[in-house]
Amino acid sequence: MSRPSKPIGNNRREFLKTASVLAVATACSPSSVAERDAAAASGMLAQRSSFSNASDLALLNAVGDTVLPESLGAAARAQAVSDFVAWCNRYDPVAEEMHGYGYADVRYLPPDPVPAWQAQLQGLDVLADRMFHQPFARLGMAERAQVIASATRRVSGERLPSPLAAEHVVVALLAHWASTPNAWNLAVGVTVSPGTCRPLAEVHRKPLPIASAT
Amino acid sequence: MSQSVRTIEADILIVGSGITAAMMAAHLAEHTTRSITVVEAGRASTPLADRTVARERYLAYGESPWKQDHLDDQNAYGTTWGFSPSMTVGGLAMHWGGVAPRYSPEDFRLRSLYGVGDDWPFSYDDLDPFYQEAEERIGIAGEQGPGEMDPRGKPYPMPPLPINYNLSALQQWATKAGISAWSTPSAKNSVVREGRAQCQRCDTCYPVCPTGAKYTPDWTWDALVQSKRVSLITETLVRRLEADPKTGRILQATGNRTDATGEAVRFVANTFVLAAGFVWSPHLLLLSRDSAYPNGLANRSGLVGKYLAGHRNVNAYLQLPLELYPGINAQHSLVSKQFMRTGEQSRYLRHDLRIWESTVGREPRLRDDDGALLTGDALLADWRSRAGGANGATARVRAYYDVLPDKESKLTLDDAHLNRFGDPMPTLAFKDAPESVALRSWQEEELRELFRRMARAGDGSILRMENSASDLGQEHPVGGCRMGTDPATSVVDGWGRAHDHENLWVAGAPSQVSASCCNGTLTFAAVGLRTASAIARA
Repeated sequence: MSRPSKPIGNNRREFLKTASVLAVATACSPSSVAERDAAAASGMLAQRSSFSNASDLALLNAVGDTVLPESLGAAARAQAVSDFVAWCNRYDPVAEEMHGYGYADVRYLPPDPVPAWQAQLQGLDVLADRMFHQPFARLGMAERAQVIASATRRVSGERLPSPLAAEHVVVALLAHWASTPNAWNLAVGVTVSPGTCRPLAEVHRKPLPIASAT
Repeated sequence: MSQSVRTIEADILIVGSGITAAMMAAHLAEHTTRSITVVEAGRASTPLADRTVARERYLAYGESPWKQDHLDDQNAYGTTWGFSPSMTVGGLAMHWGGVAPRYSPEDFRLRSLYGVGDDWPFSYDDLDPFYQEAEERIGIAGEQGPGEMDPRGKPYPMPPLPINYNLSALQQWATKAGISAWSTPSAKNSVVREGRAQCQRCDTCYPVCPTGAKYTPDWTWDALVQSKRVSLITETLVRRLEADPKTGRILQATGNRTDATGEAVRFVANTFVLAAGFVWSPHLLLLSRDSAYPNGLANRSGLVGKYLAGHRNVNAYLQLPLELYPGINAQHSLVSKQFMRTGEQSRYLRHDLRIWESTVGREPRLRDDDGALLTGDALLADWRSRAGGANGATARVRAYYDVLPDKESKLTLDDAHLNRFGDPMPTLAFKDAPESVALRSWQEEELRELFRRMARAGDGSILRMENSASDLGQEHPVGGCRMGTDPATSVVDGWGRAHDHENLWVAGAPSQVSASCCNGTLTFAAVGLRTASAIARA
């Protein structure tokens, strides 16, 4: 017979959150248990990674200019990158996932993906240097595309995943943009704006075309 | 933990605060002057004012909008597909989809009509007024289907959610396929009603409606608590009912606070109502075993926890040469009941049918057919070539089909899983009756063939078909305290009163004989209201 569970309530998530941050910390920076524990003790657990330094942002913008549709225009691409950064920075690691019909256990979202994505961004620079002897952001579009194709060659799956499930920061950025109502509207050529609250009154009509649809 | 015992007295004690309990409390508050106490193990979850933000985070990250709506150590094990661990004020209906069809008249007479399963102790006509009451109290927007398929005594309380552009095209296709389909009845306001907003088709009905247009039981609880007709005790887990061994009357319910205090609590009442769903209602009866009732309460028949029932589905995505624009309102659908009202047939199959717009096959791709990475305008061009409009459409169709329960489709106490108080948790083991085992392959192939015929009727093709999650459990589950007229073959009578305990009632899903082949919540509520009417008269 198993022992009764303790009334852990909120503690379960706190435990998972701590454990996941420790796992990321173990994987990403301190190399020893002592260093990890020191990092934890120094308050690293309370901090989350974020895309905030200029180098990350410059690289992300360069990636955005490369993989987002040119037809969006520079301002819209920059906005898409900015929205992605905000999305990353608002992520709450190991928050409760939606549980509904279908599974009894309560599941939790993954640890913060940003540290790994930051490493992948830096990896683009390393790869660019190896392939073309230049930092990624200084390459022309064709060369950047080659670097990205090489960096993502092992990324599996035909469909764009959800951003959180993306194996590579390039895919995450692309997937985040593609998940927006505006991207969907561009794809279908009309103003459907899925997931946007709007009145029932017009619901029977064929959606109106968007000006930029071709 | 504290050693003190708090005592709470009431005329009527309702265990559970889900949609069935909410309907019953509202009915009892209007039809009796007796005091009503409702006890809920969980706490109140996300208030309406916070649901817009909760929805945004759900859309952005998949976060639950209903955080802490469960107790970590209070869960079910085994074949739990279709079960939710939600334990909160309002229960699972805080995040239901709001789909609210009635069962069909045949559901109540399966043995008489088809020679399978069991008849219920009352008919569809007997339940009709309680269906109507549930529809009024919840607020159902519905379209009257053809009378022979969709009988009802009175009109729906609200006009239907409109057939949108996509559904209109799909309805015309269904008609070509010989299927009569109409707007699915929904617990969503098609008009402003009783202080709640009109639906804004935000398309997140499941799991969260940000406007309050979808009914959730907190609306009822807030009104009842505010009017002081009901006392709602939260964060308190009822762990035992105690019966007088001589008279069988339930004397008290005992339990503990689920907060940090763990305080012991005792409820003394004249009438005890279990409205805690198909898991926790029989679970409490089994947990209440003692020397006088070694098999648990209400269990002279040995059927407490038995005859768990549900249904399975076959689901398909069809490619059709229609001009659709996915995303207009993906959670709303068409429904047909024409396969629920079958006549006598050589082999038994009854099912519902739902039709939705779908984005399957219309999403952006990461790689092209040759496996090359797609980015930029190449990705957008590829997406445009498949996304919708003149490039064809995807329809999703799904049929729930009736599964007959075996007596040994059961819930038992599982000593391998204990909660913080040392109580064994329930383990579920769904099991089909031999008739359903024998029919299953044929039934599922019949449904696949129906979908093929539907595709052909629209000059379309099947993209993919799949069965529901096989033997992991069943959908819209019921049972565990089945009703009937014979105490040897049922736990409660036709009104939900326990055969063995004259002041104990089991309401809604756990008392049901079968689960039909459509979403069950409206019927749980209607059956609960029928029980409430009997309690009010008693």
